[in-house]
Amino acid sequence: MTNFRDLRWQTSAALVVAGLILYVPANILPVMTMTVTGDVEPLTILGGVQELYDSGLWPIAGVVFIASIVVPFFKLACLSWLLLMHGSPALRRERTVMRRIVHTIGSWSMIDVFLLAILTAVGQLGILASVRAEAGGLFFVAVLLCTLFASEVYESRMIWHEQDPSAA
Amino acid sequence: MRHIRGKKEWITCPECRSTCRDRPLSPDQELRCGRCGVSVKRYPDPRSLQRAWALSVAGLILLVLANVQPVLIFDVSGNTQANFVVSGVFNLFSQGYTVVALLVFFCAIAAPAIHLAAACYVLSACCLGQRLPYLTKALRIVERLEQWNLVPVYAVATLVAVVKLDMLGKVEWQLGAIWLVALALCSFLTTRALDVQLVEDRLERLSP
Repeated sequence: MTNFRDLRWQTSAALVVAGLILYVPANILPVMTMTVTGDVEPLTILGGVQELYDSGLWPIAGVVFIASIVVPFFKLACLSWLLLMHGSPALRRERTVMRRIVHTIGSWSMIDVFLLAILTAVGQLGILASVRAEAGGLFFVAVLLCTLFASEVYESRMIWHEQDPSAA
Repeated sequence: MRHIRGKKEWITCPECRSTCRDRPLSPDQELRCGRCGVSVKRYPDPRSLQRAWALSVAGLILLVLANVQPVLIFDVSGNTQANFVVSGVFNLFSQGYTVVALLVFFCAIAAPAIHLAAACYVLSACCLGQRLPYLTKALRIVERLEQWNLVPVYAVATLVAVVKLDMLGKVEWQLGAIWLVALALCSFLTTRALDVQLVEDRLERLSP
């Protein structure tokens, strides 16, 4: 029985699995290379956070760490949980709240993409200071889009959808 | 979404699609869905729409200003570089990261513009009592693009970028940064003040 709702579940699940796979290269590969007065330095997302922390700006390092590392993982974990619980009558209210949270905080991961855009735009001063985007950014954007669309496809009403007993 | 069933009025919960019975509210009350607990209806304050209208108009003006003026100027031993909101898009594009460039363009420029323009269009129809074409379509656009209006996130990202750049050279704030922050505030407050339920009621009353 492949009805409309099952297809939505499958699409969402596929996006979450893709997101989980892409999460690994997004965090391992460098997002950008900074060249400052001749020194070439590739930076991963975690490396960028480390650099901010080392310069003593731990509140800003915390914001970037939460927005770009914790939030994507939290989203993927929550969405997997929601999808696995699909159809079960337990904790429906909590699941609805959880889905709302995932949906609202999701866009804050864009902070890293914007940061990349601003830094590449400013770092055009040749050998003095230049910033180049690297492949990690692409994977990061892919994870982001996967989670955003997964939470969009899996609507709250599907949490509350009663399984048709005659179909079983 | 509101429909009459028998004599009582019912509202569909926007989250879980269950039906809740409508009843009049006093200013500090809100109606919550009995099943999932989400707020279904707020007190229909007619002034809230005017507020949202004013905020969306202000947002549109600020959007133009924020995109026309540079946000900051970066200076490394005498060499300067002005930075606009679009420059990031152009540079990512020229470095071959088309997808990333498009996403940044959509979330930081296109979506906020369309979102605010659609909100302004719908709200002006509500506040002036004028029937304009495609009002329900515009309202759907407002609802859909609300989560893609990421100007507040962009404003925070600018702050982080400045902190990073400060280690490399001198950063000078420009007027564009003020417009950007104001625009972030305006778009946030517009989405807060815009009561979709109330707008739908108004639009229904407008149609013959």
